Amino acid sequence: MPNIRLEGITVSYGRNNALDSYDLEVRDGEYLCLLGPTGAGKTTTLRTICGLTLPQTGKVIFDGKDITSTEPEERKAAMLSQGYSLFPHMTVRENISFGPEIRNWGEKERNESVSSMLDLVRLTRRADSFPHELSGGMQQRNALARALASGAEVLLLDEPLRALDARLRIDLRGELRSLSKSLGITTVHVTHDQDEALVMADRIAVIRKGRIVQIGTPREVFDDPRTPFVANFLGQSNFVNGFVRESGDRTILEDRVGRLMPGRASDLELGDQAVLGVKIGQTQISKDGEGHLKGEIERMLFEGHYIHVDMQVEDLGRFACKLPPRKMEEFDTGEVVNISWDPHEASIFPYPEGGLENELRVE
Amino acid sequence: MPEVRLSGLEKRFGSVVAVTEVDLIVRDGEYVTILGPSGCGKTTLIKMISGIWEPSKGTITIDGKDMNGVPIEERDLGYVFQNIALFPHLNIFENVAYGPRVKVLGKEYIEEIPRRYLGMVNLLDRMGLFPSELAGGEQQKVSLSRALASGSKLLLLDEPLSALDARVRMDLRYELRRLAKDLNLTVIHVTHDQEEAMSVSDRIVLMRNGRIVEISSPETMYKQPGTLFSANFIGETNLLEGTVVGTGGTTTVRLRDGSNLTLNSSGFHHGGAVVVSVRPENVYPADEGIPVRVSRTTFMGSYVRVLAKTEGNDDLEFDVPAKQNKCYREGDELWLQVNGNMAILFIAPEEGVMEAIKLE
Repeated sequence: MPNIRLEGITVSYGRNNALDSYDLEVRDGEYLCLLGPTGAGKTTTLRTICGLTLPQTGKVIFDGKDITSTEPEERKAAMLSQGYSLFPHMTVRENISFGPEIRNWGEKERNESVSSMLDLVRLTRRADSFPHELSGGMQQRNALARALASGAEVLLLDEPLRALDARLRIDLRGELRSLSKSLGITTVHVTHDQDEALVMADRIAVIRKGRIVQIGTPREVFDDPRTPFVANFLGQSNFVNGFVRESGDRTILEDRVGRLMPGRASDLELGDQAVLGVKIGQTQISKDGEGHLKGEIERMLFEGHYIHVDMQVEDLGRFACKLPPRKMEEFDTGEVVNISWDPHEASIFPYPEGGLENELRVE
Repeated sequence: MPEVRLSGLEKRFGSVVAVTEVDLIVRDGEYVTILGPSGCGKTTLIKMISGIWEPSKGTITIDGKDMNGVPIEERDLGYVFQNIALFPHLNIFENVAYGPRVKVLGKEYIEEIPRRYLGMVNLLDRMGLFPSELAGGEQQKVSLSRALASGSKLLLLDEPLSALDARVRMDLRYELRRLAKDLNLTVIHVTHDQEEAMSVSDRIVLMRNGRIVEISSPETMYKQPGTLFSANFIGETNLLEGTVVGTGGTTTVRLRDGSNLTLNSSGFHHGGAVVVSVRPENVYPADEGIPVRVSRTTFMGSYVRVLAKTEGNDDLEFDVPAKQNKCYREGDELWLQVNGNMAILFIAPEEGVMEAIKLE
């Protein structure tokens, strides 16, 4: 299956750059999630890979071969859009055999291919049903089978789970990934849902304003975010603004009221303005003991796996943390607690151009 | 003050029963979500409460008044839809001023009220912009201010966050809950998203096939669900089939692999077929217990979820903190313990477990 490379791609609509000298590599057989907010350029990336959008500059390369000007139908890339676009008057089987290319195959070959696709997506027993008789999950598998039946080697999924109920989405994540993996097909999956990306991807590419901000395994992107935006988009972070007072194997920031806060080593210099970001899941609170900050508990929300705690920190604003449910009784709204974190869990970033609030905007 | 009472409510479309036998009291100042999979009847229910649809049977009272025949504009409620419905040719201020103007309030109110509610959602600086110039989440905040500006104390939210990005949704749900409580509103919020329901509600009404399955607080529904369907719908859970082999103050269940689990439940018969429901965070590795083999690990951010198979071919998932030194790999063999206080026991459903938890 092909390795895909996009090199220096620019796509603009009017005055806006949807993709801005954009580079991306998807490895052979990889399941890559392209994660970012609405309008970041996710769908444009897919359209560029399959040839529906022609870039103003740059190259699309499959397995070392420049295919920038190759027609979409010759690229062996199948795109599955948000709506499933099945033909409502055709059965599951007919929808699959109507796929481009496969239509023109010999009857025997075509029937074999359709049967194996039905089997793969577990719709053999529903082969003669119409789309409206199927559940959302089945319709999605039907659309997937149609896309794959014509021998696609690259699968482009545009928010494939978006139209489904939240609970069902969780169950179908594993199914979709194993389908792609069992075919060994190179897959690019576009999503705005960070949990979906964490669970499904071999690697996540975080995209914002037409550029890739960071690419890496889920663990790399979650644990070692390159920008405050990434730190906050995957898993939510608390942020503190300050100036570098100490650097070395750890960095110490001082905020404007003189509080000292430790974080990871960085290459920032003494006196630089910087931002410390720590995941809310790595933020601890206690009633006694030492803390880097003090906060007053504003509310505690039971969320199943965790309790979400919001606090107000003087001169800083809202801070949040997650507690295991058994700690529900230990704390109360209105209480003042010590907030701390392991310095190795706190990322240090140079103060973003355009300000922190702007950097963190999720839409 | 608005209290909403539904009794014996039913809606039929021809021979299709969309909602039936719904009895519910939403108390004054309470935040209630109606949760359930697509087609469960939740939207039909909120449309009847708002007055968009007439019930086929049963009564709705708001604030003690029977709503039979009362049109939507006279029910004194705010309504926010999934599809953001702002007037595209009016700016943000004018959109929010629409309600007070329709109510023919004085000029000073028409100036002041929109400012007050736009301030609450931090959009005062956007007042002069048109809806198309705002992002989706901001537009939905405007819809919310507009609904609130009508001055009604009853707010109906029909999948208000479903069209938004996941990350925006997360921030907005805390905002919704905060606003509702600050303004002491009675809220009925329809959603298919169990996480959203859990973090905003005082109580959750879980529906399936047109009926209410369970009404309880988020914490009770998560920890002590009343049905197998609720246990699985409200969050991921391990479901293990077995047979009761010991009763008394506790119940001992023999699983398919032959190992025994002792749970803090009673009222089950010796020899009865049962299903144990235990959430992944209540299963942990130990020196003895259920022997399993790891088949997959998934990084989830602050924890790693490990999928393992028992010798009886049951799937058993458990969580380990992501920072823990011990890493599990495919093929690893170990023993698992189940926290008997946090596991729930159900009588095995006649239709089978898969059918009992089916989502669509």
